[in-house]
Amino acid sequence: MISCTDFIPAYSELFRYLESRGGREAVIGFWNYLSDTFLGNLKSLVEANGIRGCWLYWSHTLNEEAADFTMELDEDAGEFSITMHHCPSKGRLLGLSHIEPYHDYCGHCDVLYRRVLDPLGYEYNLDMSECDRARCKLVVRRKS
Amino acid sequence: MAREVMERHASDNVYLHRDFHGALSTGIEYLHTHFGEDAVRDYLRQFTVTYYAPLIAELRGEGLPALKRYFEELYAIEGGEIDIMLSNDELVLTVHACPAVKHMREHGYMVARLFRETTKTVNEALCTGTPFATELVEYDDATGRSIQRFYRRRP
Repeated sequence: MISCTDFIPAYSELFRYLESRGGREAVIGFWNYLSDTFLGNLKSLVEANGIRGCWLYWSHTLNEEAADFTMELDEDAGEFSITMHHCPSKGRLLGLSHIEPYHDYCGHCDVLYRRVLDPLGYEYNLDMSECDRARCKLVVRRKS
Repeated sequence: MAREVMERHASDNVYLHRDFHGALSTGIEYLHTHFGEDAVRDYLRQFTVTYYAPLIAELRGEGLPALKRYFEELYAIEGGEIDIMLSNDELVLTVHACPAVKHMREHGYMVARLFRETTKTVNEALCTGTPFATELVEYDDATGRSIQRFYRRRP
């Protein structure tokens, strides 16, 4: 068994392996597949609770992942945001001296959640400009 | 309508997100479907020899006690009940129920057809370049209950 605490390097190495076998298309194909088959809980939470569904979903995952973050929800404005001060996944990869993170590791966050939220009527904006420091900023807004 | 803010530091929580087992299982199923069974084993082998290189070096240098320590820590973190029998040349690990399979079954995640390879292939790869070999003596796909044996190769 691979411990769930070792999942992030396994995930990063899976992206690298897929790219070696099927190019970038295989990696994106996997991210789409993962979004469609694995993120049903995010989809149902947002369908049932609107923008609050994002709050409920990430409250669970980010706490279990021991992330360092500020999360904000403004239901009147239809806006949800996460300011990731230190991403536990990318931070973990950057901290490993014997593993090089997949070159677009953080790209999965842009594909997976956008694919769920966009069809439900939400704009998904992810600023990945500081990913190399394990930081990012996500803003989800209800489309007007 | 509410406005809410949540701030957390890494030290506020323990790093243990069991849903990751489901994500890994999904990855294995995707590889199996699109690239075949050998790709699943090939990926797990590559991951193991790369990521677990420090553990493999300990196994090579110190022998089976290094593996015993590793399994004890792993199953303590995951909350799995195990028994380990260790002698100079043999380690037998009995996993009464795999915490990963248990979590996935309880939460309705798909368990990949080749999920057992996360035990079998990973164990085989851990023995790479060491004096040890391994066999998966028993494995129950429904629960992940298993008996795993590591032993010194004959010269």
